[in-house]
Amino acid sequence: MEQAPRDPERQLQPAPLEPLGHPDAGLQAAMTENNFWLKKIEINVSEAEKRTGRNAMNMQETYTAYLIETRSVEHTDGQSVLTDSLWRRYSEFELLRNYLLVYYPHIVVPPLPEKRAEFVWHKLSADNMDPDFVERRRIGLENFLLRVASHPILCRDKIFYLFLTQEGNWKETVNETGFQLKADSRLKALNATFRVKNPDKRFTELKHYSDELQSVISHLLRVRARVADRLYGVYKVHGNYGRVFSEWSAIEKEMGDGLQSAGHHMDVYASSIDDILEDEEHYADQLKEYLFYAEALRAVCRKHELMQYDLEMAAQDLASKKQQCEELATGTVRTFSLKGMTTKLFGQETPEQREARIKVLEEQISEGEQQLKSKNLEGREFVKNAWADIERFKEQKNHDLKEALISYAVMQISMCKKGIQVWTNAKECFSKM
Amino acid sequence: MSGGPPKGLPSTGPHSLLDMPHPLAGSSSEEAVGGDSTPSPDLLMARSFGDKDLILPNGGTPAGTSSPASSSSLLNRLQLDDDIDGETRDLFVTVDDPKKHVCTMETYITYRITTKSTRVEFDLPEYSVRRRYQDFDWLRNKLEESQPTHLIPPLPEKFVVKGVVDRFSEEFVETRRKALDKFLKRITDHPVLSFNEHFNVFLTAKDLNAYKKQGMALLTRVGESVKHVTGGYKLRSRPLEFAAVGDYLDTFALKLGTIDRIAQRIIKEEIEYLVELREYGPVYSTWSALEGELTEPLEGVSACIGNCSTALEELTDDMTEDFLPVLREYILYSDSMKSVLKKRDQVQAEYEAKLEAVALRKEDRPKVPADVERCQDRMECFNADLKADMERWQNNKRQDFRQLLMGMADKNIQYYEKCLMAWESIIPLLQEKQEAK
Repeated sequence: MEQAPRDPERQLQPAPLEPLGHPDAGLQAAMTENNFWLKKIEINVSEAEKRTGRNAMNMQETYTAYLIETRSVEHTDGQSVLTDSLWRRYSEFELLRNYLLVYYPHIVVPPLPEKRAEFVWHKLSADNMDPDFVERRRIGLENFLLRVASHPILCRDKIFYLFLTQEGNWKETVNETGFQLKADSRLKALNATFRVKNPDKRFTELKHYSDELQSVISHLLRVRARVADRLYGVYKVHGNYGRVFSEWSAIEKEMGDGLQSAGHHMDVYASSIDDILEDEEHYADQLKEYLFYAEALRAVCRKHELMQYDLEMAAQDLASKKQQCEELATGTVRTFSLKGMTTKLFGQETPEQREARIKVLEEQISEGEQQLKSKNLEGREFVKNAWADIERFKEQKNHDLKEALISYAVMQISMCKKGIQVWTNAKECFSKM
Repeated sequence: MSGGPPKGLPSTGPHSLLDMPHPLAGSSSEEAVGGDSTPSPDLLMARSFGDKDLILPNGGTPAGTSSPASSSSLLNRLQLDDDIDGETRDLFVTVDDPKKHVCTMETYITYRITTKSTRVEFDLPEYSVRRRYQDFDWLRNKLEESQPTHLIPPLPEKFVVKGVVDRFSEEFVETRRKALDKFLKRITDHPVLSFNEHFNVFLTAKDLNAYKKQGMALLTRVGESVKHVTGGYKLRSRPLEFAAVGDYLDTFALKLGTIDRIAQRIIKEEIEYLVELREYGPVYSTWSALEGELTEPLEGVSACIGNCSTALEELTDDMTEDFLPVLREYILYSDSMKSVLKKRDQVQAEYEAKLEAVALRKEDRPKVPADVERCQDRMECFNADLKADMERWQNNKRQDFRQLLMGMADKNIQYYEKCLMAWESIIPLLQEKQEAK
């Protein structure tokens, strides 16, 4: 490696890495104000390869491995030098992401491309081994890495750095962080409601927005797939004109040539739809990224919800302990307690016993107050950081989606122009009939 | 009466007629005006009046004056065939202004027929009458009867399945009007049919029903004589040109049928595409309601898709109304051509059979009996008329299909141009930087 020596034990110092990768990534250089890093890093997921191996249960399986190449780019002359190159499979990407989700709960973590092909229109394969699907996934994985690399906070993560640089042993390293234990199992229950007494209005609205966004983009992708299907049908049926015009031209004299050549244009028209729809898949992929991003956004809201819930629970617990303590001290029983009941039934406890209990409670209360304080602090930090990232995300989303819409419009324009061209050619042939 | 032995089958109708000696040879314009209305059952007799068919007395006796043989007037044909640009055209007919009539017994549509002509057969330079479909149907039957050696243009279909098609919808009426207009224009363009008595009455009579009743009693005897050629005669050999046309028509009708099915399928797919588009566009609207900065771009895309949907609907409507009916008409046209060819075959077969019968008879007559001669003439005239009509049909077919297919291409071009305009117009909207809120 040619750049400044990096200690893998420390967190990475560099500022956000500008993504210079695949043009399909659709990313802009983010956070340029922090870009003091002289050497830019390029990340490419350049190849996909079918592999066979043995899985955890020692059964043979087939999977696809992806080659990740990292290059550092000299600022002055733009030459890039290959620094790292390793193979990863999809499950390792998933592992990386799950780790990031646990360690950065306040960040809207970039999503992975879909695990299984969804929203397919009929010609598109739903098979994970299909070369087109693998290709689109390759692009999606590259996009994921670029998103992480251009995130001001995530890019500094050690595990991420190791993902790009350390092929062997990486899985063990991730697991050693113990992140799975830290993961809140309650988050898995997506729809479980936690009754929060004082919800943060902003987060409630944001959660609502992310739900709506997911719903509308899903709907859009579903209908778009149907539209693609129908459009395919329209174009392909025109191909039949090609054949019948050819057959008809055989029995005609003066009309023959015109018909024959017009038929050729009909064939061209029919076959043009394949490229058109392939291009449109890129647009669908851009929408899908934000469909999954909506989920990540929701996850942040959820984590906040849980945090708030825990905070309220802790505060409630503390309040009840304080009350208990007070009652014991003053001798009044206002709240029901089991101890109180047994005392009534089996006789008063001794002053020593009472003192002991009060002492325990006071300790617990002190502990609880500390915990509440830190929880409050934690909560405020979370809200501050989360909101910063959410603002960053909003800007990114607005920018990216606008770009996606523009490229979609450009695709449509190109399709219309092709259509005009073909039919104009056909018309000319007909005029010569 | 023409003398001499019957000539061989004419290879080219018009030319051989010109060559044939004619007792009353002279230019058509010199021929008797207002003419002899006594119908001659004899084809030869009728032919001897030469180009009399050019001068049809208006409102004269309907029977017999327009005879098949007289239709083969070269002069007339050449004259009308040359003025494709209508410079020397002297008859113009238009069908327009459909109106609904509600009566106690029934409801029906009438169309206005406007005729402008400088022909002598018309008393007035201009006529305007109203006719309904059954009047057209009557006219076509009359033409078939009275001009059995000619190809009569087809009418749009008579029956429509009630409940499936609305007989009084604007689209249906307009499609029908166009077809009826085409029908009359084809007759107008025909050098023989346009002078037909019944056609004239159709264009001019105030009360067509009265005329219809009158005409029922008298049948064209010439027509009848041809009609009464029954089957049962086996054809020896069909002249090459007719055989070729027969084969051509078979394949042609097949190809047209295929094209019809393809066109229908395309329209069906386009309609299904339209259904999806109509759901697709509004989703962008729903989304735009959720957003802030993206509201206008998303709304713009929604509107754009809406415009494309409208353009697509226009395309499918046009294709259904303009393309499919004309295609079907040609299938009907080639069907009627085939039945005329069959009739011609029968006439030839009858002639050959009679000729053979005569040859077998041991009689030593130098002359061929009159009825065999009549058969021969009938056949030769039929061949001539048909050949002329076939050529005309081929030319018209070429023009018609050229126009039809160019029209189809045009409609598709217009559709794409509308969509292009819609998408190009929202690019600036999408690229707009929003001012800081």
